[in-house]
Amino acid sequence: MRAFRFSQGAIDAAALAAAFARPDAGGFASFEGRVRNHHEGRAVTALDYEAFEALAVVEGERILAEALRRHGALEARCVHRVGRLAVGEIAVWVGVCAPHRAEAFAACRAIIDAVKHRLPIWKKEHYADGDSGWVNCEHAPAAQGRSFDYSRQLALPEVGVDGQARLAAARVLVVGAGGLGCAVLASLAGAGVGEIAIMDHDRVAASNLHRQPLYGAADIGRPKAEAAAERLRAYNPDVVVRTFVGCFDGSTADERVASADVVVDCTDNFAAKFCVNDAAMRAGVPAVLASVYQYEGQLQVVRADRGGSCLRCHWPEATRDGLVGNCEQAGVLGPVPAVLGQLQAMEVLKLLLDLPGQLGNEVLLVDLLALGQRRLAAPRDARCAGGCIRIADAAPAIAPEMLDLEMPLEAAAAAGYRIVDIREPMECAFEPLPVSGQQSLPLARLLEGALAVEPQQRYLLVCAHGVRSHAAAEFLRARGHPNVWSLQGGLAAQAR
Amino acid sequence: MPRLTLHYYALLREQAGRSSETVETGARTPAALYAELAVRHRFRLSAAQLQVAVNGSFSGFDRTLEDGDEVVFIPPVAGG
Repeated sequence: MRAFRFSQGAIDAAALAAAFARPDAGGFASFEGRVRNHHEGRAVTALDYEAFEALAVVEGERILAEALRRHGALEARCVHRVGRLAVGEIAVWVGVCAPHRAEAFAACRAIIDAVKHRLPIWKKEHYADGDSGWVNCEHAPAAQGRSFDYSRQLALPEVGVDGQARLAAARVLVVGAGGLGCAVLASLAGAGVGEIAIMDHDRVAASNLHRQPLYGAADIGRPKAEAAAERLRAYNPDVVVRTFVGCFDGSTADERVASADVVVDCTDNFAAKFCVNDAAMRAGVPAVLASVYQYEGQLQVVRADRGGSCLRCHWPEATRDGLVGNCEQAGVLGPVPAVLGQLQAMEVLKLLLDLPGQLGNEVLLVDLLALGQRRLAAPRDARCAGGCIRIADAAPAIAPEMLDLEMPLEAAAAAGYRIVDIREPMECAFEPLPVSGQQSLPLARLLEGALAVEPQQRYLLVCAHGVRSHAAAEFLRARGHPNVWSLQGGLAAQAR
Repeated sequence: MPRLTLHYYALLREQAGRSSETVETGARTPAALYAELAVRHRFRLSAAQLQVAVNGSFSGFDRTLEDGDEVVFIPPVAGG
C-alpha cells in the first residue's frame, strides 16, 4: 500500500492506526480532519472533494518523506477522501510513528499543514440554504480574497512550494518584542513561518510607539507579547502564535530554545543577550542576534548547530549592562531597529530556506547615517573545540540583594565603608556627593584596574542611578574582591 | 611613521565626533593606539570593554600594526 493515497469510501481510522505496530516506535500520533457543519457563518450539510490525483499522490509521497527526514520519524501515512462526505466524516487522516512523542507530533503537524498547502485538492460546500460553492481546501477564504497569498515569494526559484512548506513547518522563537522584535515578527509572519513564539516581560509604553509599529496608542499598558500576538494573528491567520509573558532567564531559556528551529535575539540588554546566546549554544540551535545604538547596529548569526563562533568569542566579560547606553539613555531613531530587525528576519529566512550568503562567524556593523556596512570576520575561539569554554566557566550570577546596599551615604561612611564615586568628572562637578572623604574614580579607570582594593576594607561604589555601580561591583567581585557593594538606586535614591 | 585608517562606532564615534580618520602614529599595537586615542578624544570606555578589528577581522589588542592597516574600534551595544 502506498503511504499516501486517496479513498472513495469512508476512512477506517482504527484500522489505519493498527497498521503502525512497530517495536522501535515509542510514539504514535494521528490527526483526523472532519467535515464541519459551518463555514464563514453558513450552515454546511455536505462536501464534495475532488483531486488532481496523479499529481497529488506524487506530491503527497514527497510530503511524507520530507516530514520523516526532517523530524526523525519512522513511518507516516496519509489518506485523503474524495467524493461526497457527510458532516462528521473523516476527510483526511494522518498517522506517524517515531521513537519519541516529540518527533511524532511534529511530523504529524508538518504533514497535515503541507497537505493543506501543497496538494491540488478542492472541495465543494453544500449549504443548508440549498446553495453550494467550490473552495480550495486550505485557501478556502481565498475565494473571497481574504487569505494570505504567498505567490510573490513562491515565484522566487529558491523558494517555490518546497521552500514555502519549509517555512510553514518552521518554529521560530523571538525574544523581545521591542523595536527589533516588531520588525522581525512582522516579516516572519508575512513570510508564513508556521509557528512563532514571542517572549517578552514588558508592557507597551507610550515612548515605545515611535519605533514599535505593531502597537497602537490603545495598547499602552498591555503586555507586549499579547498585543503583538493579537496583531500577528489578525495579519496572517496561517501562523500559529504562542506567547510567553516573562523574563528570559536560566529557568526557562534552555527548554524554550530547544523547541525552536531558530531563536532571534531582539532584547535590549547584555544579560538577556548572553542568556539567549548561551541557551542557543547549549541546545545547538542557531541564533540571530542584533543590537542598536542611536544610528547604528550590529548583527551576528551564531551557528550553534555548526560549531560556529558565539557572542562570548568576541565580547569580554566587562560587557555588562550599565557600561554603555541603551535606547532610553542614548536615544534611537525608529528606522534603526526596524532596519536591523529586517536584517535579522532576512537571516532567519536565509537559514530556513538554505539561501546563499548567510552571515556566519562574522559580525555585520551597520551605520545608517553614513549608509555604510562592514562585514568583519569573527572566528571561533580556538580553545572552544568541545563547546564554548566561556559558557562552561561563566560564574553564576550574583543575586542583586548580595550586591546592592540601600542606605544613606552618611550612614555608610560612618559604618566604615570607603565611598568610591565612579561617575564622570563632569557629573561629579554638577552634583557633588553629600559626604566627604570619598574617592573619585571614573568607571573606565576602575575597569582598567585603577582601584587598589585593600583586602580588609569594605567599598561602596556610587553612581547616578545604581546601574553602573552595580556592574562595576559585579566586575570587582568576579576578580576576587568580596567586600565591594553598589549603592542601590544611586544618588537619585538618596535625594528622595 | 605608520599611517593607519581608523573607524569608530557608537559611543566612540560620538566621543570622537567623527566616524573615521587617518592617523600617523608610533603606536605598534591596537592597545597602544587606543591609549593614545583615549587621551586625544577623551574616550570614557576602557580597552577592556571594546573589541578591535584589523583589516576586516576581529583581532587581539596585542597584535602588531603595519603601515596602511585599517583599524576598527567597536564598543558593545545592547539596544533593542
